[in-house]
Amino acid sequence: MRLDFTLNGAVLSLDIDPGLRLIDLLRDVLDMTGTKEGCGEGECGACTIILDGVAVDSCMVMAMQVRGREVLTVEGLEQKGELDELQRAFIDSGAIQCGYCTPGMLMSAKALLMRTPEPTEHEIRSAMAGNLCRCTGYLKIIQAVQKASQMQSAHHA
Amino acid sequence: MPAAGLKYIGKSIPIHDVREKATGALRYAGDLKLHGVLHAKLVLSEIAHGRVKHLDLEQALAVPGVVGIYTYRDAPDHPYNSHQWLEGMEVQKDELIFTDHVRFHGDRIAAVVAETREASERAARLVHVEYDELPAVIDPEAAGLLNATPIHASGNHIVHKRIACGDAESRMRDADLVIEDRIETPKVHHAAMETHGCIAEVDAQGTITVRTPCQVIFQVQLIVSQALGLPMDKVRVLKTTLGGSFGGKGQPILEPVAAFLALKVGKPVRLVLDRTETILSTRTRTKAIGRVRTGVDRKGRIVAREIHMLVDTGAYCTNGEVIPMAMGKKSFRLYQIQDQIFEADVVYTNTPVAGACRGYGSPQICAVTEINLDHAARALGMDPVEFRMRNLVHPYNADPAGGPSIGNARIRDCVTKGSDLFQWREKSARPKGGGRIARGIGMACCTHGNGYYGGFPDFITVDLRLTPDGAVVIKGAFHDLGCGTVMTMMQIAAEVLDLDPSSILIPDADTLVCPFDSAGTQASRVTYVCGGAVHQAAGELKRKLLESAATLLAEPISGLRLEQGYVIGSSGRASYQEIAQYAQRQLRSDLCVNLLYQSPGNPASYGAHFAEVEVDRITGRVRVLDYVAVHDVGQAINTGFVEGQIQGSVQMGLGMALMEELTFDARGRVTSSRFSRYTVPNAPEMPNVRVALIEEGEESGPFGAKSIGEIATVPVAPAIINAINDALGTRISVMPATPERIVAAIQDV
Repeated sequence: MRLDFTLNGAVLSLDIDPGLRLIDLLRDVLDMTGTKEGCGEGECGACTIILDGVAVDSCMVMAMQVRGREVLTVEGLEQKGELDELQRAFIDSGAIQCGYCTPGMLMSAKALLMRTPEPTEHEIRSAMAGNLCRCTGYLKIIQAVQKASQMQSAHHA
Repeated sequence: MPAAGLKYIGKSIPIHDVREKATGALRYAGDLKLHGVLHAKLVLSEIAHGRVKHLDLEQALAVPGVVGIYTYRDAPDHPYNSHQWLEGMEVQKDELIFTDHVRFHGDRIAAVVAETREASERAARLVHVEYDELPAVIDPEAAGLLNATPIHASGNHIVHKRIACGDAESRMRDADLVIEDRIETPKVHHAAMETHGCIAEVDAQGTITVRTPCQVIFQVQLIVSQALGLPMDKVRVLKTTLGGSFGGKGQPILEPVAAFLALKVGKPVRLVLDRTETILSTRTRTKAIGRVRTGVDRKGRIVAREIHMLVDTGAYCTNGEVIPMAMGKKSFRLYQIQDQIFEADVVYTNTPVAGACRGYGSPQICAVTEINLDHAARALGMDPVEFRMRNLVHPYNADPAGGPSIGNARIRDCVTKGSDLFQWREKSARPKGGGRIARGIGMACCTHGNGYYGGFPDFITVDLRLTPDGAVVIKGAFHDLGCGTVMTMMQIAAEVLDLDPSSILIPDADTLVCPFDSAGTQASRVTYVCGGAVHQAAGELKRKLLESAATLLAEPISGLRLEQGYVIGSSGRASYQEIAQYAQRQLRSDLCVNLLYQSPGNPASYGAHFAEVEVDRITGRVRVLDYVAVHDVGQAINTGFVEGQIQGSVQMGLGMALMEELTFDARGRVTSSRFSRYTVPNAPEMPNVRVALIEEGEESGPFGAKSIGEIATVPVAPAIINAINDALGTRISVMPATPERIVAAIQDV
């Protein structure tokens, strides 16, 4: 079936198997493997992407559901060779160990900062509640989101 | 900040592949796209114990795209033990690639190989298995009984182990008080975010290449060669980026299977598990039931202790014969107990297979003994910190069981510093709260090792080379599990050679490229042993560099020094690049070192954790309000990594304390085989963790460093359980302390 949608700013028009989940479209068809699968049931958040500004688990969305909509994945965070502030903050804060949860964490954090540029610690923890990380204990990730928020505020001030 | 007088040691530099991780560009095993790759899907047992009576493949074979289905009838009959990492080690070889005697829910019966993932999954669902079901043994306490159904021909009892010093039996009679406990620790899933998976392919010469996220490339090579009956040089293993392991990827589980399938179909085979398969059919933390008797005198001195651990290794032995010794040794190295007996019995059960899991038995023995010590303190009417301080070891105390020197053991400093930071005294004085919400505090001390010295051969060979463009290449079988192993090695070499870590390259571990390492990334040996090797080899390379520079600059070595990629003399200087090129052109030599490094010892690492909790007496819910972790690490090589290890460890221990457990139905089928039914702590549940380090240096470690990654998870569960028991006056002794268990314990008070 025909699927038209926007992926990381580019308009795509594809012929796809309607049985595909969004995560399969990204990983298997488009070979964009930054988005990870950790559980396949929307519990771990490794596959989080942003759909029309909202963080969603791409394992719980059928590819056809994104018709006419905008999808942002981890591959779309870097702009013209410049890392997103969140990516820089994750790097600087030591928020990345094995890195497997990182793309999903970044996308949940990005969606949060898009709607709440200066979140409280409680808001950050809640926004990341659906993203599991087994390495870091979350604390450096929370710090990284706080740091990115500050960097953005300083940037826009 | 680097440590005093040092440039790179102690500095918090991000993990070496951080940028590729942040952009999603880095490929893990499941992300690799090999040309012509086929997809494999396992057929796993749906019952806990039985014989496969009939296997109907007809419908599955008819699925378009299916290339073949391979079962226990096709697989080689070469038993192996996936825990074996060195040729010649004595192990119980009870594993096969596939089996018709299924011994747990998740045992491997067959695999489908197909052109697409979808076809492999569809066909695997259509393989019809008929079983003759046998009674399943789930309770380890029932496994050894005479009427228990045997899981293996040898029976269900695997081994009895004993370590003892002094005369515990008679000294126990002198004790003023004897405090007894039975404490249970759960079977836990590692829950690395990357599920298990690997890719195997065979070339025209019949050499199998396995790409896998593993902890010991040479162990994978050994096990694949054993399982398939091939010479080791026919197996090449390449480590892929690890999306977490925690011991779970330590034993080769899928590699022999994928290699077998690749040999069968003659094409690359990708075998990647989903979460449920990973929970069921890989490895778990060993469940243990500890019985402990501690004799104390009125002054608060431990006069004798007797410990018995019942160790549940699951359906296959793996490390079942080794893990009780790893548990037992720890109980002689934390407190000064001259009269002590440690015994263990290891049994099979029809449950998922146990293996290495962060701490390798230490979290279990620590939970058993540290919860018991709090009961002892309470019985004596003594503060738990004060009671421990009367008994903890001092630096260089002898191990009464004859183990290697404990070295510069700084547990007392950890307790003192932690108590101050946590404000233990102030918090102790606070009321517990008699209403719905109760508050309590708890602490626990821990110890863990630094490698295998004293138990197994522990050595590594490394190659270091200064290239003609001034970079340093380090070849060694390093496996970065996400902990920062590679950057740790880079920082050690950087410090010795005064060279920016960005000029140091460490390729991924590869059996064809890397010189031999005896034991891999396990046993908390990497910083202490492998780091020791890099430290010494970098020193050798420095000597060669200076020798060549002395000729080039026509100055004596004694007047030369290194600075930021240059050798500086009194009259001039030369860059490393110039020196390496000069050595090649003029001296017909290459600046390289091949070094064999044998571990010089096995000092103990230490830590003390402190937890404050709030418990809801009605719902049984626990919230950890404050957490302090202090560790004796000798010297942090990368302070940020050390903090990261500790914070992540607290999260893992919190799961073991409060929520994580594989559960079973009456027939032994796993009822917690997905994340919606197996809860791991998430961001809102994680307390803030205040970390402090004791850096007093361990003489035999590189720059004084010793281990941290495993030990930090060891005392977490007992610290939290002790805090809950303090809050409620309960004697909770089964982990995890779920709300149901807490409510039941309150009713028992």
